[in-house]
Amino acid sequence: MAVGRYTTDLEKGDVLGPIEYSMSKFVVREYCHANELHQACYQGVDPAFAPPTLVHLDKLKLYKLACPAGTGPTARIHYQYDATLHAPIPVGVKLRVTGKVAERFEKRGRTHVVMEIDMRTAADNRPLVTYRDTIIVSYQPAGQGSAA
Amino acid sequence: MSSTYAASFQAGTEVRLAPRPMTRERMRWYVDIQETVQVDDGRIHAQPPTIHDDDAYAKKQGLPGIISDGMVTTNWIHGLLIDMFGPAAAGTGRLRTKYIRPIYEDQIVITAAKVVSVLDNERKETVYTLEVWCEDDQGHKLTVGDAQVHQRHA
Repeated sequence: MAVGRYTTDLEKGDVLGPIEYSMSKFVVREYCHANELHQACYQGVDPAFAPPTLVHLDKLKLYKLACPAGTGPTARIHYQYDATLHAPIPVGVKLRVTGKVAERFEKRGRTHVVMEIDMRTAADNRPLVTYRDTIIVSYQPAGQGSAA
Repeated sequence: MSSTYAASFQAGTEVRLAPRPMTRERMRWYVDIQETVQVDDGRIHAQPPTIHDDDAYAKKQGLPGIISDGMVTTNWIHGLLIDMFGPAAAGTGRLRTKYIRPIYEDQIVITAAKVVSVLDNERKETVYTLEVWCEDDQGHKLTVGDAQVHQRHA
């Protein structure tokens, strides 16, 4: 197990969380404002659901919990977002989110880490989003030891 | 999720948003939102320097300058899907995006989606499968991916 220090240390099989929280209207509107999602369903007085892309920030919450020392010596590059949506993410309902490192592998001189994040309703365990997040944890631009 | 959007799209339909420059501000908005969402107290919270908002830090990491967070273009693609399909795009389905080229400051980005197939399923939904991407003003793809949106029959 490699939890407890840097995110760059994470290894296959590491479990992060679970965490529980309720999605707030403020988070929906502010996140959508930051991403220019100005549609009425997100910017109204009472948004009923969150953009599913917000699941990506649950990864950062899980990192903060499991890897309190931060990113580590090298920058972390996001490579792939892959979210399967089972139902809308409700606002004002307690959610439970768990992360598990599914893969850690080398490709073209770069270390990739795949984390599977599972978001459900806390009360009745209803699946909302299954998210596979791929990052490169030892990023080096092409020509500096990697074959991009 | 049912949608109030009556629009239906046929296979081959391509929809593109107006070009947007990936300005320094657009990159920073995404940086600032990360800690803000985590604290969730109604105020904006900044975070330590990143490759998305600090030139010196980005250069230290071997980059020529700041680059945008991939989630910015993923959200722009999600926004296009909401424009096309309404709330159904936040319901049942899938969105996958891969960041194949870095996006630098002030680079022009065009968000696009093309309907690949349209099928009805046994749950009385129309299932749209789409190719989605962001490209620069020279037509070079920056972010690529695919999406599936389930739209309940009216």
